[in-house]
Amino acid sequence: MSAGAGVFAVSSPCEQPSGAHTLQIERQLNLFFAEVERRALRIAEIAVRDRDEALDLVQESMIKLARHYGSKPAEQWTPLFYRILQNKIRDWHRRQNVRNRVMVWFGRGSANETAVDPVAAAVDPLGRTPEEELANQRAMDELESAIAELPARQREAFMLRTFEGLDVAGTALAMGCSAGSVKTHYSRAVHSLRDTLGEHWQ
Amino acid sequence: MKTPIDDDRRSRSSESNAGDSHDAPLTGRARELFDESVERLDAATLSKLNQARHAALASSSRSATIWLRWLPATGLVAAAVIAVVMLQGRAGIDMPGNAEDFEILLGQDDLEMIEELEFYSWIELADLDGSDDVG
Repeated sequence: MSAGAGVFAVSSPCEQPSGAHTLQIERQLNLFFAEVERRALRIAEIAVRDRDEALDLVQESMIKLARHYGSKPAEQWTPLFYRILQNKIRDWHRRQNVRNRVMVWFGRGSANETAVDPVAAAVDPLGRTPEEELANQRAMDELESAIAELPARQREAFMLRTFEGLDVAGTALAMGCSAGSVKTHYSRAVHSLRDTLGEHWQ
Repeated sequence: MKTPIDDDRRSRSSESNAGDSHDAPLTGRARELFDESVERLDAATLSKLNQARHAALASSSRSATIWLRWLPATGLVAAAVIAVVMLQGRAGIDMPGNAEDFEILLGQDDLEMIEELEFYSWIELADLDGSDDVG
C-alpha cells in the first residue's frame, strides 16, 4: 500500500496473548463491539451513504481491532476502533473515486452514482406519533445530507465528537492528528452545518 | 435501551462540548436525531451486525486466511488484466487515472472490482466482434 493510501496508519500491533487471557479478551471485545457497532454502522453509513458498504467497513474494522489490537488496554479500543474505521472509510472513498473514473472511461457508469439505502420503515420503537417520526426522519435526512457535503476531515471530527461522544484527545487519536486540528475541523463543521441547515433547523 | 457506556459517552460528549454554548442547540439536536436513528435500526441490520461481530471475533483467532496464500498470484493476474485492458484502450480517449489509481485498483481489498473489469473488458471485445459480423 502506498504512503498515500495509508495516511493514518495505526501504530505497530501487540503480540497476541494466549489461553485464558485470550478468552477473557474475546469476551471483553464482544461486549465492546456490541456497545459500539450500531453507532459505528450509522457513522459509516452517513459517510459512505450505503448501508451494505457500511456493514462491510464495520466488520473489517472489528476484525482488524480484534486481530491486532485486542491486547491493548480496553480504554484505548474506542479511539483505535474509530481510527481503523475512518481509515477504511477514506480508503473506500478513494477506491470509489477511481472506480467511478474507470467505469466512466468504459462508458458503463456515472461519475455521480449514489445508492442511498433508506432505513426500513417500521413501527417506531420510541413511541412517537407518525407526524413526529416523519419530522424527525426529515430532519435526520437533512442533517445526513449536510454532513455528507462537509470535507472529509470536518465530517470525521463532527461525527466522532457529536455522535460518538469522543473528547478532543480521543478524536485526535482516532483521526491521527493534533488536538488543535480537531478543534479547528470541528468548529468549521459546526459553522458549515449551521449555514446549511439554518438557525431554525430542528 | 441505555447502558452505562451510553451514559459515559453522553457525559464525555457534554464535557467535551461544554465550551461551545452557541453550538449546543445544533449539536444537541443532531445527537438526539442520531441516537434515534440508531434505535430505529431494523432487525435484519441488527442481525447482520451480530453476525459481523461473531465473524470478527472468530477470525481473530486465525492468524492468516487461506486466500492470502494466493495473494501474489492474484496480484499478477490483476496486473495482467489491467495491462491488457489499457493496451486495448480506444484511441483518443483519456486514460482513467494515474499510477496511484492502479495501486488502489490492485489493492488486496478490491478483487471484486478486478472481476468487474474483466467482465467489462469481455463486453468490449464481444461488442467489437459483433460489429465485425454485421459489417
